[in-house]
Amino acid sequence: MIQVKHLSYNFGPYWALKNISFELDKGDFLFLTGPSGAGKTTLLRILHGSLPVTRGHVQVAGFDLKKLPVRKHYLLRRRVSIVFQDFKILTRKTVWDNVALPLQVRGMSSMHIQKRVRAVLRSLRLDHKAECLGQELSGGEQQRVAVARAIVVNPRVLLADEPTGNLDKDLAWQLLEVFHQFHIHGTTIVFATHNEEIIASNPQAKVLKLYHGQIVEASWALEEKT
Amino acid sequence: MRIIGHLLVRGIKNLAENKGAQVLTIGAVTLVAFLCGFFMLVLFNFQQIIGTTQNKVQFQIYWERGVPLSEVHKDWEQIASWPVVKSIKTFAPEQALQMLTQTFSDDESSSSSEYVSILADNNPLPPTALVEVELSVYSDAGRSEGADQAKTLLDRLKSLPGVDRVNFNPLQVDLARTWLKIVHAVVWPLIVFLLSLMGMVVGNTLRLFHLSHQEEVEILNLVGASRAYIQLPILIAGALQSLIGGCLALIMLKLTHLVAQKMLYVPPFWLKISFLPLPYVGIFLAVLILVGIISGLLAGQSSYS
Repeated sequence: MIQVKHLSYNFGPYWALKNISFELDKGDFLFLTGPSGAGKTTLLRILHGSLPVTRGHVQVAGFDLKKLPVRKHYLLRRRVSIVFQDFKILTRKTVWDNVALPLQVRGMSSMHIQKRVRAVLRSLRLDHKAECLGQELSGGEQQRVAVARAIVVNPRVLLADEPTGNLDKDLAWQLLEVFHQFHIHGTTIVFATHNEEIIASNPQAKVLKLYHGQIVEASWALEEKT
Repeated sequence: MRIIGHLLVRGIKNLAENKGAQVLTIGAVTLVAFLCGFFMLVLFNFQQIIGTTQNKVQFQIYWERGVPLSEVHKDWEQIASWPVVKSIKTFAPEQALQMLTQTFSDDESSSSSEYVSILADNNPLPPTALVEVELSVYSDAGRSEGADQAKTLLDRLKSLPGVDRVNFNPLQVDLARTWLKIVHAVVWPLIVFLLSLMGMVVGNTLRLFHLSHQEEVEILNLVGASRAYIQLPILIAGALQSLIGGCLALIMLKLTHLVAQKMLYVPPFWLKISFLPLPYVGIFLAVLILVGIISGLLAGQSSYS
């Protein structure tokens, strides 16, 4: 589902990623860990097509990101959802509008949208906030709206950048449970976090530790498949 | 279809946002579109007026004296049957003399009466005809077609049996063509310039709208919206701005037409000013909408990443 080969990425003279290679199959759960500035967010943004592949090769959900033209990135993003650290929700729109947006973009019927949005809001305990504007929500609620928007389309790959960072312990565990449900149903998940407790909660998950843009530790053998 | 409907609604909603800027833009579009329409109206009426006056050429034909009048009558009938001939006034020698006598009758001197009585005995006037023809000076077939037509007609008239000479003023055709060339050369570039100006105004407003919705555009990109999904509402907003401005401009143009119509239909002009025909109005609105769409397209170019 995800193939990364010899990926390097630089912001001017600073190398954010250096020679990263790994592969994930369908239904894999990967914890991406490492200190701030290790390159976790850069890697997630490359996997989502928000940053270009300048060195190396990356394949995600059947798309070769080096060859995929910008005008077709939307096709990748219809298979790959992302939850950003800074939420990126529309604060002047309601929770319902935010979560329904990816379904509207895909041209789903309003009946399907209603059914799907309602189910996802309920699973994230946001159903009572459906009509609230984004700006009226707390940080944790905004975080959950961002997660709801990402999972509402049943993505093949779910990328999450510190999705529990703004949540209290209970909500963090609850959110993790939602991710596990998706994982069970075959979604490949890349979950960036600092939280050792969360990593320990899923012993079957793969773990990749980055430091200064390089892989310093992996919980599985990283040899490339031929 | 569902998506297009949704985007259409979004495009209309976009117009309702930031009303102050939208009103100013539509105002600017209206004024520029009015100027374009005004030039088109002037050009159209100028063509009409030149068409009804300048491209009409009169040929004065003189037959030889002594040609039997029955032969001359045949020639007159033949000339009258030609499609380019709009009117023909014929004068037999007696008629011509009668007209001349009438002219002299105003003069009460005895010498004039004497001349008339002498002329009646030995009429020197030949049969003549005054032929008015309409030449196609606007023909696309060739710029000198009007002059060529006049020349062909002149040769044809001269070749009629018994025709002594034919007079006409070829300068009139050239003058009409020259005027039209000048007007076209000035007005069309001016219209193109004004449309570019309008495009820039609409484009700038849409660009500002885009910048103020950068966050929304970014999120739409993130959730898998296609370029068309992001840009279509902006194109629709541009097209609507142009359409509204164009319709307001047409109303102003009609009012101007009504005023001009009354002002110019007085002596000595007697100019009948016509409003732009319906196909012209359609083309006018279509071009404005096209400019609005192109502006929207250019304004939204950098929005997709």
